[in-house]
Amino acid sequence: MPEITRRTFVKGSAVAVGGTAIASKFLFGGLETVQQTNTLLMAQQIQEDFVNTTCWIGKQDCGIVARRVNGRLVSLEGLEAHPKNRGTLCPKGTAQIAAVYDPQRIKTPLIRTNGKGGPGEFRAASWDEALDLVASKTKAVLEEDPKLLLWQKGRSKAKVFYDTAFVKATGATKLGHGAYCSDTGYRAAEYTLGPHGVLHPDFKYTRYLLSWGWNITAAGGNKTCWITWPQQMVEAREKNGLKIIQIDPRLRPAGHFADRWLPIRPSTDLAFALALCRELITLGFVDEPYLKAYTNSAHLVGPDGLILRGDLPADAEEGAEAPALVWDQASGQAVPHDEAADPALTGKYDVDGVAAKPAFQLFVENVEPYTPEWAAEICGLTADSIRKVAAEFGENANIGATIVVDGVEVPYRPVAIMAYHMAQQELGFQALRAMIMVSMLVGSPGAVGGQLVDFTWKIHKNYAKFGNLTVNEGPYDFTLAKSKFFPINSGFPGIVAKVMQDPAKYEVEKLPKVAILHYVNPLTAFPSQKDFLDTYGKFEFVAVLSPWLSETADYFADVVLPTATMEKYEGPMSASDQYIDGKTLRLPVMDPLFESRGEIDIYIDLCERLGVLYGEGGYIDQINKNLPLKDEFALPLDQVPEVRDIFDRWSRMEGLEGGIEYFERNGVWVKGPLPATKRYGYVTDPPFGGALHRLYGESLLVAQKKQRELGADKIYWQDYTALPTWRTPTMESSPPEYDLTLISYKLIEQKQSRTSMIPLLTELSGIQRLDMNPETASKLGIEEGDDVIVESHNAVTGETRQLRTVVALTSGFRPDVVGMPHHFGGWSPDRNKGLGPSPNEIYFTGEGYMVCTADQSFHVKVRVLKG
Amino acid sequence: MAKYAMAVDLDRCQGCRGCMEACKIENNTPQAVFWMYVFRTETGEYPDTKMSFLPRPCQHCNNPPCVKVCPVGARFRREDGIVLTDPERCIGCRYCEVACPYGVNYYNWRKPDAAFGAYDMDYSDPDVAAVTGGVIPSYKNPDLDLLQGDEQRLTAGGAHSVGVMEKCTFCVHRVDKGLNPACVDVCPVHALHFGDIEDPESPVSVYLRERSSFKLLDELGTDPSVIYVGGAPPGSETREIERPLTEVRS
Repeated sequence: MPEITRRTFVKGSAVAVGGTAIASKFLFGGLETVQQTNTLLMAQQIQEDFVNTTCWIGKQDCGIVARRVNGRLVSLEGLEAHPKNRGTLCPKGTAQIAAVYDPQRIKTPLIRTNGKGGPGEFRAASWDEALDLVASKTKAVLEEDPKLLLWQKGRSKAKVFYDTAFVKATGATKLGHGAYCSDTGYRAAEYTLGPHGVLHPDFKYTRYLLSWGWNITAAGGNKTCWITWPQQMVEAREKNGLKIIQIDPRLRPAGHFADRWLPIRPSTDLAFALALCRELITLGFVDEPYLKAYTNSAHLVGPDGLILRGDLPADAEEGAEAPALVWDQASGQAVPHDEAADPALTGKYDVDGVAAKPAFQLFVENVEPYTPEWAAEICGLTADSIRKVAAEFGENANIGATIVVDGVEVPYRPVAIMAYHMAQQELGFQALRAMIMVSMLVGSPGAVGGQLVDFTWKIHKNYAKFGNLTVNEGPYDFTLAKSKFFPINSGFPGIVAKVMQDPAKYEVEKLPKVAILHYVNPLTAFPSQKDFLDTYGKFEFVAVLSPWLSETADYFADVVLPTATMEKYEGPMSASDQYIDGKTLRLPVMDPLFESRGEIDIYIDLCERLGVLYGEGGYIDQINKNLPLKDEFALPLDQVPEVRDIFDRWSRMEGLEGGIEYFERNGVWVKGPLPATKRYGYVTDPPFGGALHRLYGESLLVAQKKQRELGADKIYWQDYTALPTWRTPTMESSPPEYDLTLISYKLIEQKQSRTSMIPLLTELSGIQRLDMNPETASKLGIEEGDDVIVESHNAVTGETRQLRTVVALTSGFRPDVVGMPHHFGGWSPDRNKGLGPSPNEIYFTGEGYMVCTADQSFHVKVRVLKG
Repeated sequence: MAKYAMAVDLDRCQGCRGCMEACKIENNTPQAVFWMYVFRTETGEYPDTKMSFLPRPCQHCNNPPCVKVCPVGARFRREDGIVLTDPERCIGCRYCEVACPYGVNYYNWRKPDAAFGAYDMDYSDPDVAAVTGGVIPSYKNPDLDLLQGDEQRLTAGGAHSVGVMEKCTFCVHRVDKGLNPACVDVCPVHALHFGDIEDPESPVSVYLRERSSFKLLDELGTDPSVIYVGGAPPGSETREIERPLTEVRS
């Protein structure tokens, strides 16, 4: 590894150590082996230095200063200059130090010696042998059909090198973990507003926040991990008097930060949001100028549900969409939207014999039945509590107000919704759409203090794509992209598993043959475990890249390639806290331990063996195009690149003095404040990035029609409606004895299954449990710590599944809901045995337990029996 | 001479236990030993439930009952207010543990290698030892073996010897270098503040001047140096939830 410039402080003298004659030794006779070993080792010259790097665990890549003594890692502390963590760390950030030197890490490449589908037996292999084997199996499938190579990731910290360059260079099919995260929330935001993200507030200015779901102090938002969130949240409470309304079956996510707790029944968030919309309209909290100018609320919709369109101008480009018509109240006629002086939002109009209504009129009619009383019954809340939230949201929105930020006058609507993982429910897509509409009604999206999605108002390519959804006839590829089942498709490992079990049902002819699993552990991390157990043995060959032998590797890997943890280069990564822009890299804290290697090195080596490293379209070319590296900074297409040199070129191209040494010296590149004209949609150029907000989802209705024409069952098309529409979730048709709803959630001490092998974190988070309200426990005759059986029921297939765990009582839980954290149920390494089961063992996937956008639902009806 | 104190802002604390973890790594404490402990608690009945969090390090009392009962002078209070244990003197009688009303003392029942080993973390693994020198744990902090302060005594900051009492040292090895305790620096929401309470301009003094505060079990006359801001002291109705593993897994 090339020499790293670092701050070095050498202590000039040997450390004075205490005497070895310890009184207790004589009293207890215990030989103080550790004391002696450590004392002897420490009684030597100490060379201390500090290396800048980034957290290897979390999603937001907090800046870390690693303290080393004689090259050995001693502690990890937060990097002061990093905007995201400002010198601090969470428990995972500090605890990863125990993971680095974990003797249970995979130390050499492994090749399987026994059959798959059960505990693995492996032999150590050289890198050459292991990579040759992976390359030969991969090459065979690439020659047949590159799409049958599945590249699946759980986490990716150098997307250009993995998700982009490797996938493009090979032509593989890519699957991520987003379908188990919040992809449906992303899809709802991309569809409705345009930016890529889920809903988060503008903490510097927001004064009233609907904290919806379990994220607020447990996981943070979609663009930041967790530290940034609570930092900004506590400051917002102190400086702006931010009020937090916690809407979740659990109080714990907001703890004492909840000004009010609305313990909503799981899977009923859509009903709540629809009632809020209705109540806001009733109370007159409607920002008409915003709705008229920046949304399709005024677009005239015909009886067929389609938007009325005018003629294409003569000079229109090929493929251009004809302009939508609105009713201009000034001229009393239907005109293209951008020509109307005063578009009507309500009413009914005759347009050349067609009875048409503005989309907003349809929206008002759509929410008319959704009264607070109606929602209260469904959500398990009081109508008054719903009315109160609507009134407070509307009042705090200050419709019509503006504020000057960075010298620019911007609409000021200090009300927002925080919703990230609450999208993980069957009606998640439309629930998120309806929540966005709550914000839209008061003109909050893109306003100061208002509803934000991304850190800038950049429009994602899906916005345009979703305007015209492709629904093809079969046969389909094994992800069911562009199919009659999922016109919007996040890429869902669960449905791929279903397809692999019954390809004919899904009109699929070709199944994946080889899988490269990059830091992904479907067997314990994703529901449902049974579907992956039944499926991953069907791959002809499975290669796993991981520092530990994951459960999936244990059961199904043919080859395991040991990767480094913090001892590698990765990036570039955002260092932005949403107000300050910045970039960072992961720098190795030492050479890779044992025989592990950084993933970029592994992919370079693998691509060379596959014959896709060099030349146009090869792995190196893809790095040049996508990092990007241009002109004199571009990598030569005929030489094996050196990873540090790649990042050095990128750093130089970005104008950083010293190239990668800039990061080695400073740890982070802080670019400076993000200006109001980038952050707030109202004042970007063009406003809102040029995307008209889709209150009315015409293309969803069009997709539904195509789905039905192609014979898709109702369960696939029923939620493709132009406006969010309530229906009872499928799981509610389970028999009444399944009287509780199981939910799962994240603990702040853990990061899904990425951290479960770190014993220091297990120590903090304890063993698995079933959270239960004392009132429920009392009815069941259950007490704290009792063993119980939790049995789930699939309302579609009738299947039941069981797990055993112990009960933990908390009054911060709805009585008709029980909960379990993720992160458990592992058996590899050995230390994870006995910590308790994963809820993924009894969740279901597939019909009734997924979202219409091909995303997992984390709700199921259960009953609890004394164990 | 400085007089050290810690202010804990309960309105900011979100119970993440980042301080517990930073303490654990900084001080190399064995499994199920938490010199810093964060209570997660609830009161009231559904749906009027209230939650709160309470970080509890050693209170570093100005009138420390643990020092008074120590028969061998192992438990001592420095002039700067930091209460420490000299493992060379400690005979493991556990009187301090009984005398302390805060439950912050931990007795080392077993060899530390066994306590760490229960994690299935065999730091003597030859491949690991080749890069760590075989220290236990791998992140062993050499500063803990230093003699601290004017007294030049060990402070039970890292020996973890069998038969010795241990507790939070306010990270005396860091404080003597001019740093904050590890728990203070790591806190993501800056709920912990540390400094010289006799210096009116120190961060802790400024903080305490602006906010009302309380001390735990103040009525006992222990006069803690840990001062709580915001929130409320736990009462008889307070129930602990989400306990960490307080028993060694084997």
